This record gives sequence, C-alpha cells and structure tokens, in this order.
Amino acid sequence: MEKKEQKRHQHKHSGPKADKKNRKKEQGTEPERDERKRNPRAFSVQSAVRMAKTFHRTQDIKTKKHHIPLVDRTPLEPPPVVVVVMGPPKVGKSTLIRCLIKNYTRQKLSDICGPVTIVSGKKRRLTFIECNNDINSMIDLAKVADLVLMLIDASFGFEMETFEFLNICQVHGFPRVMGVLTHLDTFKNNKTLSKTKKRLKHRFWTEVYQGAKLFYLSGMVYGEYQTQEVKNLGRFISVMKFRPLVWRTSHPYVVADRMEDLTDPEDIRLNPKCDRTVSLYGYLRGTFLKNKCQVHIPGVGDFSVADVSFLPDPCPLPEVIKKRALNVKERLLYAPMAGVGGLVYDKDAVYIDMPSGHGSQQQEEVRPTTELVQSLIGTQATLDAKMAASKVSLFTGTAALTPEEVQENEKQNPMESREWDERAQRERRRAVFADEDDDDDDDDDGDGEQESDEEEDEEEDDEEDEDEEGVTTLKKHDKTAAETAAPPVKKQKCEVPMEMPAFADSDDELEKSEEDESEEDESEEEEENEENEEMEEGEPAKKSSGPDSGLCSEDDDEDEEEDSDTDEDGDGTVKSKMSSKHPEEENIDTDDAEMGYETAGALRWKEDLAQKATEAYLRHQLAAPNLRKLVYGTVAEKEEDDSNDEEELGGLFKVNRPEKSKKVRADAMDCSRFQPDNSHDWDQEEMLASIRDCFVTGKWEEDKDAATLLKEDEELYGDFEDLETGQVHKAKTGNKDQAEGGNDDEINGDDDDDEEEEAPQVKLDDDEVQKNKRLEKKRRLKERFDAQYDDGDATYFDDLKEEMQKQAELNRQEFEDVDDEIRVQYEGFRPGMYVRVEIPALPCEFVTNFDPHYPIILGGLGPSEGNVGYLQMRLKKHRWHNRILKTRDPLILSLGWRRFQTIPLYYIEDHNGRHRLLKYTPEHMHCGATIWGPITPQGTGFLAVQTVGGIKASFRIAATGVVLDLDKSVTIVKKLKLIGYPYKIFKNTSFIQGMFNTVLEVAKFEGASIRTVSGIKGQIKKALRTPPGAFRATFEDRLLMSDIVFLRSWYPASVPQLYNPVTSLLMPVGQKETWAGMRTLGQLKHDLGIRNKPNQDSLYKPVVRQVRHFNPLHIPKELQKALPFKNKPKQMQAKGKTPRDLQRPAVVREPHEKKVAALLDALSSVYAYKNKKARAEQHAKHKEFLKQKEKQEAERQKRMKEERKKTYRAMGQKEKKKLKSSLKGASKDN
Amino acid sequence: MEFEGCNCFRQRLVLSTLSGKRVKIRNIRSKDDNPGLRDFEASFIRLLDKVTNGTRIEINQTGTVLFYQPGLLYGGSVEHECNVQRSIGYYLEALLMLAPFMKTPLRAVLKGVTNDPTDPSVSVLKRGMAPAGGGEVLFTCPVRRSMKPVHLTEPGKIKRIRGTAFSVRVSPQMANRIVDSARSILNKFIPDIYIYTDHMKGASSGKSPGFGLTLVAETVNGTFLGAEVVSTPQGQGDPVLPEDLGRNCAKLLLEEVYRGGCVDSTNQSLSLLYMTLGQQDVSKTLLGPLSPYTVEFLRHIRDFFQIMFKIEQQKPGEDEQKGGEKVLMTCVGAGYSNINKTIK
Repeated sequence: MEKKEQKRHQHKHSGPKADKKNRKKEQGTEPERDERKRNPRAFSVQSAVRMAKTFHRTQDIKTKKHHIPLVDRTPLEPPPVVVVVMGPPKVGKSTLIRCLIKNYTRQKLSDICGPVTIVSGKKRRLTFIECNNDINSMIDLAKVADLVLMLIDASFGFEMETFEFLNICQVHGFPRVMGVLTHLDTFKNNKTLSKTKKRLKHRFWTEVYQGAKLFYLSGMVYGEYQTQEVKNLGRFISVMKFRPLVWRTSHPYVVADRMEDLTDPEDIRLNPKCDRTVSLYGYLRGTFLKNKCQVHIPGVGDFSVADVSFLPDPCPLPEVIKKRALNVKERLLYAPMAGVGGLVYDKDAVYIDMPSGHGSQQQEEVRPTTELVQSLIGTQATLDAKMAASKVSLFTGTAALTPEEVQENEKQNPMESREWDERAQRERRRAVFADEDDDDDDDDDGDGEQESDEEEDEEEDDEEDEDEEGVTTLKKHDKTAAETAAPPVKKQKCEVPMEMPAFADSDDELEKSEEDESEEDESEEEEENEENEEMEEGEPAKKSSGPDSGLCSEDDDEDEEEDSDTDEDGDGTVKSKMSSKHPEEENIDTDDAEMGYETAGALRWKEDLAQKATEAYLRHQLAAPNLRKLVYGTVAEKEEDDSNDEEELGGLFKVNRPEKSKKVRADAMDCSRFQPDNSHDWDQEEMLASIRDCFVTGKWEEDKDAATLLKEDEELYGDFEDLETGQVHKAKTGNKDQAEGGNDDEINGDDDDDEEEEAPQVKLDDDEVQKNKRLEKKRRLKERFDAQYDDGDATYFDDLKEEMQKQAELNRQEFEDVDDEIRVQYEGFRPGMYVRVEIPALPCEFVTNFDPHYPIILGGLGPSEGNVGYLQMRLKKHRWHNRILKTRDPLILSLGWRRFQTIPLYYIEDHNGRHRLLKYTPEHMHCGATIWGPITPQGTGFLAVQTVGGIKASFRIAATGVVLDLDKSVTIVKKLKLIGYPYKIFKNTSFIQGMFNTVLEVAKFEGASIRTVSGIKGQIKKALRTPPGAFRATFEDRLLMSDIVFLRSWYPASVPQLYNPVTSLLMPVGQKETWAGMRTLGQLKHDLGIRNKPNQDSLYKPVVRQVRHFNPLHIPKELQKALPFKNKPKQMQAKGKTPRDLQRPAVVREPHEKKVAALLDALSSVYAYKNKKARAEQHAKHKEFLKQKEKQEAERQKRMKEERKKTYRAMGQKEKKKLKSSLKGASKDN
Repeated sequence: MEFEGCNCFRQRLVLSTLSGKRVKIRNIRSKDDNPGLRDFEASFIRLLDKVTNGTRIEINQTGTVLFYQPGLLYGGSVEHECNVQRSIGYYLEALLMLAPFMKTPLRAVLKGVTNDPTDPSVSVLKRGMAPAGGGEVLFTCPVRRSMKPVHLTEPGKIKRIRGTAFSVRVSPQMANRIVDSARSILNKFIPDIYIYTDHMKGASSGKSPGFGLTLVAETVNGTFLGAEVVSTPQGQGDPVLPEDLGRNCAKLLLEEVYRGGCVDSTNQSLSLLYMTLGQQDVSKTLLGPLSPYTVEFLRHIRDFFQIMFKIEQQKPGEDEQKGGEKVLMTCVGAGYSNINKTIK
C-alpha cells in the first residue's frame, strides 16, 4: 500500500500568531539565543524529586572522580628508577639491557651482573636489573620495580612465568609494565606475524589494562636489536611517569648494588663459618631511613642495622641543567657488581675496583706454598695460648718450665725463647706471631691499626716467598690483602665523625675551655670528692636536689644531663674524670646568664687566648644546639670509654661509692608536674608586668592590633554611600600615595610609607620599585578577588588539597638549609641518597654463596613490624591454580618484604560471627586465613606459593589476599558432634549415655540443646549418678531405642606457630632455587611411600536391600463397629470343606449328547469364522470409501478455490473500474 | 631494650607498647629499704594488661627486675581500681597516650584518688581525695588509623580564665574563700574570670576530706594552659589555708603563662608523642621551657622511635612582655599507623 501523504504545515500569514512572529523578527534573534527565557515552561521544574535525583547523580559522579589527596613526599633528587627486565629464559633479556645501556651511555657491557645504574637524561637515572627465572627473584623484584619490561618470545607465545609475574605485581602494588615482543624475525609469513602480534597484544591488554604499551623488537642485527627500535624504547622509558605505591612510600628500601665483607679476617681464619659483618651499598628509596632500624633482607632474614652513612653519589646527575643533551662525561654508568664503576668513593677511602671475583674466594686459592706457613695459617689457637699449654725443659732431666715461670723476662720478646723458630731459619716470620700476641692482648680494644700491621707483615712474608712463588700470585695476594684489610681500617676511622654531631663536639670542647677559664679549681676539687662537695656547697646541692632549682629550664635540664651520663655508666661505681667534669662544664656554659655562679677566679685563663676567643665566638653562634645537647647529650662514646676504665681499683676491690644523685634519679618519682621556679616572685610588679602581653588586655602586635585592623578595614571598605540620606562617605586618604593613582588598595599603610621613604634614597631603582609596587598591588587585588569569588566554590576537597600542598611545602623547606650530617639525624636518611648500610651478624653463607645475579634488597621495617604474631587475612585460591589448598599444609607467603613459610588455618565467618574452620579453601570464594607470621600493617597484600623450589604446579601462585587484622584472640572453631544413645525411655524423657564420661562434663553442658538424627529436639537436664556421664534429657517427642542423640558443639583450633623465612639467598650458587622448607603432608606421604588406609566404614559396598514385611492392618473391634459397612473389613472366612451333601455331582454325558455338543461346537466355530471374515471385508470396504471421499473433497476444495479466485478477480476488476470511473468523474469535476 | 631504675616507669612502658619493643627494667629500687615495685606501679601494669592483649610481663621475686613484652592494644570497656598511692591522673596520663591507637574505642572507668598534690587532677564523676580515695572517672576515646601532623606555633592571647574550686567533706565555705583569693590576683590581668565552686556531698565526695583549685586559661587560638593546687592530704604535712591555696594556684597559673607555649608544662610530653607518631611530615609545636619529665621523654622517644627533635630557642623580644623563653620543637613523624585497628 502506498504511504499516505501528510498534510503540510501551513504558515499563518495573518492573525495573532503571525503578528507575534513578525514582531520577533523585527526585534532580532535575541530570544532564540536563550532558550530558557524564550520558553521558560519547557525548562521549569517538572518534578522536584527528579530534579534532586539528577542533582545527586551529577554530584556523585563528580565526587567519585576525586582521589584522597596525599602529601607529596617525592624527594627533590629522586633515586634512580628501577627498571626490571623480566621474561622466561632465552628470550633476550640481557641483550635488551645491553642494547639499552649502549643506547644511553655508548658503552658496552659484556656481563649483566647485578644492578646497573646509568644517567639517562638531565633529570633521570635508571637502574637496570635482570630478573632470572626463579620465583624468589621474581617476587623480590616485583616489590622494588618501578618499571617492568616484560619480554615475550613472540615465536612461542606467552609463557607461564609472564602471567605469574603479572600476578605477583598485582599483589604488591602494580608497577608500570611495558611488554616487549622479541623473536619477531622468525615469522616468515607477514600475515601470521600481524595476526600473532594482535593476538598477543589483546591478551596482554586483558592482563594489564586496555591500551597497555607493547613494543615490537623486529629482529637482530649482529646480535643486537635494531638501533631505532631500542632508541624508541629508551625514549618511552625516559618519559614514563610513576605513581606512588602505598607500601613503598611508607617503607625505606635499598636495592644493594655493592657488597663488602667487613669481617675481621682473623675471625674468618679461626672460624670460617663465623657470622659476618657486611656493608651493603645502594640508593635509598621509599621513605626516610632511620639509623639503627630493623631491616629485612628477603632471602636472608631480619637484621638490625649497625650503622648507616651516606656517601657521595657515584652516579650523579649533571649539576647544571643546560638546554643541550648530556655530553659523554655526564653519561655515567655504575655497576660495581658487573665490575664497572671504576673509582668508588667510600666514607674516607677510595677503591679502585678491578674486574674480578670476590676476595674470599681467591684467598683460598692463593695460599703460601710453604708447609710451615700453611701450618701456621692453619693453626686455630694463637701462639700465646699454645705457649701457655707448652712446657720447656732447659736441661735434660730437670723439671719442665711452665710459661708462668719464664713470663717476666720473656713477655716482651717471645720469639727468642723459642728454639724451633731458630731451626726454621725464618726469624722474620716470628713477627707475625708477636703481633698476634699483641693482638690478643689488645683484643678488647679492637684496634684497626693492628690489623693493618698484620697485613703488612703478610705482605712482607710474600716478599720473602717471592723466589718460590710467581710474581702474579704476589700481586693477587696483595690485592686481596688490601681488599680484606681496608674495610675494617676504614670502619675504625669513620666512627668518630659518624656518631658525634659536629656541633656537639665543638661545644664540648668549648665548654671545657670555658670551664678552664673560670672554674678550674672548683672542678678540680670536685674531681676529688664530688658528691661530698655537692652536698656541702650551696649551689651544687641545690642542683642535685632535683627539678625545683634554678632558672626554670636549663638548670633542670643539666641535672637531667648529669643523670643520663650516670645512667649510662652502668654499675654505678667510679665516675671517671670525664664524666664528672662533664655536667659541671655544662652548668657553667649555660648558666652564664644566671647570677651568683661565676665565683672563682681563673688562673690558667691566659693559656690560649686567641683560640678561646674564636671558640667563644663560635659558641655564641651555636647557642641553639646547646639546648639540643642538653636533651640528647653529646655522644655515647666517651661514656663508654669511661665505663671501661672503671673496672677494678687495686686489683681486688671495687670502689663502691654511693653516688647519691644517680640513685635518687634512677628511682625518682615518676611525675609529669613541672615545679615552678622559685626565683619568680609573683607578688612583684615587674614579674606581673612581664606577662602583661600574654592577655588580650595587653598590647597586641602591629599587624593584629585592633586599631590597625580597623584602619585597614576603613581603607578597604571606606567608601560608601548612605542610601537613605544620599551622603557619600570617603575613606581618609591621608597617608596615601597619590602617584599610584586611583583607589589605592594597599593593605598595610606603614609599608607604603616605608617604600615612599626609600624611593628617593635609591633613585636608580626607581623604576624597579614602581614595577614591584604595581606587581604587589596586582597580587593583592587578585588575592582579594580570589578570596571573594573562590570561597563560594571551595569545597572540603579543595581545602584538603590545599592543606596537603602546604604540608608538602613545609616538609620541603623545614630542613632545606641544614647541613646533611645534621639533617640526617633529624629526618633520617632521605630517599635518593647513596647509602652504606653496615649489618652485623649475617650468616656466613650470605658471603660465601654470594651470587650477584640475585637481587639483594634491604627492606626497612616500621615500628613493631619486626615482631611475630597472629595475622588474620582474607584469602582466595587463585583461579588458575589447579588444586585447592588444605588447612595445616605449609604454604610460602610473600607478605611485605618477606617470604616465609607458615601454616595457615582457613576459616569462614558464619552469620553469627563465628569463625568456622574449613578443611580446604573454597573453590571460587574468599575465605579467611589465620597464620603465625610477621606483624604487617592491615591492608597489605600477599601471595602464596606452595613451593619455591622447582616447577611442579602448572601455575605456581596458589592464592592471593590481604591482611585484615592482627589479633591474638581471634578464635577459630571446628564443629564437634558428641554422640550418645538412649538407654531408658519414658514418655518424653530419656536417659542418655555414652556422650560424656563424668558428671562434671555433663554439668558443663546442662541446658544445652540436643537432637536426634531423626530430628527430635531436646535439652540436657541433669546428670545421673550412674553410669558416669549419663544424663536425663527431655525431648519434644518420645524417642526410640534405635535413635541416636547428638550434641553439636564448637571446639577451638589452635594456630600452629611456624614462621620459617625462606633463606634462598643462603643456598649455594646454582642451587638457589632449590630451597625447600617444610613439606606438606601429601608430599611427605608421597616421598615416604605411605598410603592412607581408608576407613572401612567409608568404603562403598554393594547396596543390598532387605525385603520388607508388613504386618497386616489391625483395626480394633470398637472402631470396626463404628465404621460404616462400606469401610468395614470384610471378614471372609476361609471356606471350610464343603460338606458332601452340598458338593455338586459331576455330569457325565451320554454318547448322543456328546455328539450334539460336538456339532454345536463345530457350528459355532464356523459361524464365528464367517462373522470375522465379513467384518474384515466390511472394514476394507469402508476404508476404500473413505479414500474415495477424501479425493472428492480435495477436488471440491480445488474447485471452490478456483471459483473463489474467479469471483475475487471479478470483484477486483469491478472495483478498479469503479475507481477509474470515480477518478474520471473527479477529474471531470475538477 | 634495657633500663635501670623505676624512673620514667610509665614512659618506658607506654613507648614500649606503642613501638612493640620489649623492655627490661632492672635495679628497681634495689638499694632501697623497701625494694622492688610499689603497689601503684603494679596497679599500673595491671591496667596496661587490661587494655592490651597478649602482653607478657615477668617480674622477679623481689620485684626489682621487670620484663615487659607488649601485646596489641585492645581497648574496649575497662574498669580499673587504681591504687590510692597515686591519683588517677597518673594512670590517665598513660592512657591518654595509648587511647587513640587501640583496636576498639576505649571506655575506661578508673576508680581511686582523683585529686592529690603530685599528679594532675581529672574532672570526675565522683571525687575522692588522698589518702583514701573513692573517686571515679570515666574516660572514653575514639581510635584513629593515623595522626595528622601538628602545627601549634601561635599560642595567641589569653581571652578567659575558667576554673573549679572544689571541696569535699569540709565546709562549703572553703571553696568560696579559694575563689576570692585566686581572683584577687588574676583580676589584675583580665576581667573574664569565672571560677565554679563545686562542693560534693554524700557518695560522690569520696572517703577523705580536702579541697583544691583548678584553673584553666584559654587563648584566642584555642590553646589551654592549666594549673592546679590541692590541699595536703589529711594527716600528712601541714594543713593549708584555702586563701593561700587560691593565691598559690593563681601564681602557678601565672607561672604557666610566663612559661607560655601552646601546651602547658604537664602535657608537653603528650603533644610531643602525638607529633612523633604522626605521618612522615613535619610537625611543629611551640612550648615553654622543657620540664625534666619532658626531657626524659624526648630521650626515650629517641631510643624507641629513633626520632630527634629540632629544638630552637625563641628569645622574647626586647619590648615584648610575654614571659620567658619559648622552645620551638620540630620533628618529622615516624609514619606510625595504628596496626591494631581492624579493616573490613
């Protein structure tokens, strides 16, 4: 059918509407611009509710976009970016690193060994680390990586390692990940190449995020990737931005790029397995590192840092940032483990690193060949000890002399007494032992010089051996000697500047000199009998009496100082000279303001006047640190020295002086009250006047004074017009500068005046002044404008952001101008510094099995993160791990910095808050887990693997989750069903036995609800005397003797306390990935070949069904009587024997009758046959008939259709004709 | 960590609890005629045990050696009978330091001596004077995940002084006498003074007689300075006149004002602790001269948290009449977060 044409709109040309339109046209198009005004009804509020909803929705969307603002704590000079290159083996990791390094620094590195730091740009440094194919390394590096280059062999496709690494990353905060496809040149067909690329890209995107960057390295040229492609990759790396990750911004960490063994070589010689002192070097990242904090080294364990110091940056950024690119000098490369980095500056020594292995390994090779020397080196005990045990007989037959007897004359020169030395023809050799002897004597001093002496001696030895050994070995030995010897020496030297703050030291000396000046004799007296004097003298007694003396702060503080000194003295025996002088000095130093203390004249004051003058000057400058020193004391070192001195006096007796002040202090009253100063007499007017300004009634500061503020206000809002009277008030412009013109908005009138006064003085800068003034004015105007118009929009979020901004600014500025040495003490070591961390008591395997290919990370631990406790976490089995996890099977977790093995208990929380133990983790659901492990802040993610050794599972990451809570009292319970059997049944009461053993047990469960297997509920009522453990219980129905009664109860499960750090770094080289901790039960059974014997009851047996016999239904007689007849059981009694008279006699036919019967039979069968035949015939006929009829019907239908068609056609033609005629008629009409 | 003597007993235990470091204190009054821990210290340990979970405490037989291994701060509802040797303030000062870092909000009911001359007083449900006590205090505190950095550098000017003069089991007239004498001094400075008289009767008046005065000066910037004096306990020392007590207390307040700063001398350590336990940002506070207790506290903070304060002295200006020297304390927070709080 055709579509009906719609009637077109007809414009009105006259009438009110047309008039309106015309009017509008004449006025212009203004109303059309603002539709709201033109048609207000269309924009009116239809529904207030809807409006509110839309408003809320837009606000929600807006607010959801916000992130919680954080204080920006990024350091000004950030540490190098850690770029981890990861991928399965043989995928081209080392090649890529080599190419990138070459791209950045134009240097070629043959062996990538340990972290490689380079300067990549004007503001950026990079540290490349190669991740080997070990899940331990993968886990460790995922925690420190800023950027991950994930290499994928395109010819093979993704490998499991890639996915495992991505999952590890996800758990520990996702660093930036860039994929790199290699081995693309193996594709011959272009189409398959592009298809593969696309496939890999999309898979990569689903893992990382949509649109993650994937690089293609198309092919190799001379064993390297194409320069252009590497350059592009380098560019991407250089401009990459990183987001702060929570764990890393709250924990300091160091990726160590250098390791030195500082252990005393003598100790190693005596016991090669002794604990080592090791210093590790690297850039500090994350946050501030405090000295003496705890660190965790993944793969080794927890250690406390002995000493941290910062070193000059070995790979610094260019100092001046110029516009041009870096020159060759500035493109630095630093990789000490790979043997690059040439000169290395330590605290006070300079190392020249030769590319070679480690000293300790070489030492064993380069042994002196002479047996004697070897035997000497092999000795474990020192000669001194041996000598003590040995005896010498001077003449044959006399008693042997013991060393004690010969001691007096031979102490100084032991070698001469030894005859066998003479025989050896090696007199000089003896010096070694002499020194060793010495060494033994001064062992407690631990002096570095001795060691160096020893080393020299060794060198001398070598010189003598020169004829026997090659020159090369000597050199090597020298080198190793230097290597091993240098660090301890260094250590000794640097202790002094490290522990003493510079100013404190100088102060100390100053004070000493000061004390010399004024109080020489007094202090001397005090040395002799300190406390007596203190008691006698007025001032000192007052001091010792406690906090109620002197000028409020300082005097008391000194007392404290004194106490702290004495506290650290320890035993409270003799105070040595130093410590006794010490407090006095301070007194004098700080109390010069105080009256009546500078009493005694000085005698030796003239001695070094000039020096004192300078010192005095310095002292004035360093007034502030004084207070700091009062609080924190100077250094512990001196006091320690003193404590060493106070051993024994006269050999036997300890001098035990009572030391009143100290004892009083140690056990003093613990009270926070601060007693008022006696010198302040609040009855005097001056004292009252001195705090007058602290009250609102006092004088205010210039900028806050009410009068000034009022004046300002007048200036600001001075001009106004009284609308009622029409009077115009003008602000007073008395002190205003007319030259500035217009309405001056200077807030501070005084400033203005000052500037005016200055202007004529400095004519030269007139323009500048004017300019500044203008700028200032503009700024103020803007400020005011902002204040006026921005305030309306300022939300809570904006305020918060601003606050954070301010805090960040303050953080940056507060210690900016402080010297690094002191700044480090306040803040700790800043991220970005190159630090040297000394760690004592590391296991020797760390050094002996050191492999630079494995990353060494020092992860700082926060307060109380070094402790071990119970952790509750939410855990989910990884959907790719193909087995569920079993409760109490050991699991290796990676949590925080740590990797450790522990035994988790899985549980699920029921609706009533009960933690129900699970035997296995659910398949696709979170569950709870409780472990015994290191305390880690809530919200930290973790992952679990079952083993770190070898690859047994197809996907090694077994579970992931998050720490929820650290609670020691969370109880996990498992269900316990106690079963009993009734032994006596009354109506609803039964006696149950077998559930408990004693009356006491029953008493505990009185009132508990019980149930039978068939579902009858009941309650325990009371214990029965016999049998023990039986009880009376009531039920809601009568029990049967066959019923089983059970009590459902909960039994607390205890968490096993296993915390076993994974010490993979301590494994021998080459076996680091074979660490195996505790085995799971399944593994144990597998290894030991134990098969479980199944419970016989649990086995499946063929089901044998007993045939059931039902008893006949018995209806009581009464009931039967009452029933209607229909329902009455019909009692058909079994028929008895029919009596003979009732039995019917058998019929015997006559022959004729037989014949008749036979005939009748025959006839009837004939009849039946005939009948059957006729019916069949009839049936066939009827069928035929039906067929016929159907045919006729079909024909009829056909005919009818034809007919109908004909008629319709005719009707249609008729209609057409009619239409035509009507159209004709219409046209005619028109 | 090892310490000697019972000095700063509370500080050590509190900081140990917060930092998770175990502490061993030796030679507690070892030379004393009555060696070992006193009852009030034992009571304090018991209180700590109540608010924590998993704490291990070992004391040797004579009580001269204490080993303390802290557990987790649990909080919740706690009721504690404080020893009458020290007032509740002694216990409450420590609780104040711990309370924000608990697992569940703390609601502690402390019973004992509410006012005595050595320790700070507390505002109360029931008053109880030394020596017998009988007072009661309710202390509640919400928990925090982390602390914000503190910036208190402008104390501002004092705009009003408020106070409470209390008397229990003595004539109610005593309080009025105290008020009169205190006002006589303070009126020279500021007219906005209001001192409440609080006379408690019956059960809420505790078991011993006594009276005292607490004064608080509030500045325009919202900082408070407090001072208080309590009469000597019955039967110990000379009795005091209420007039003298009032005057002394007023002078003590003036002394506090003279010292100045944003925090009064009693609470210096608390503010410093909160600065230390803040996020890793710079905190600043202006204090008056450091009290010996605070100095000890600073040293302990260094030992437990490795945090040193930058201490700058601010000399008063020439023509300013604002009391003595002030000390500006600056530190970078330890980045402490409440590891006890559960996340859901």
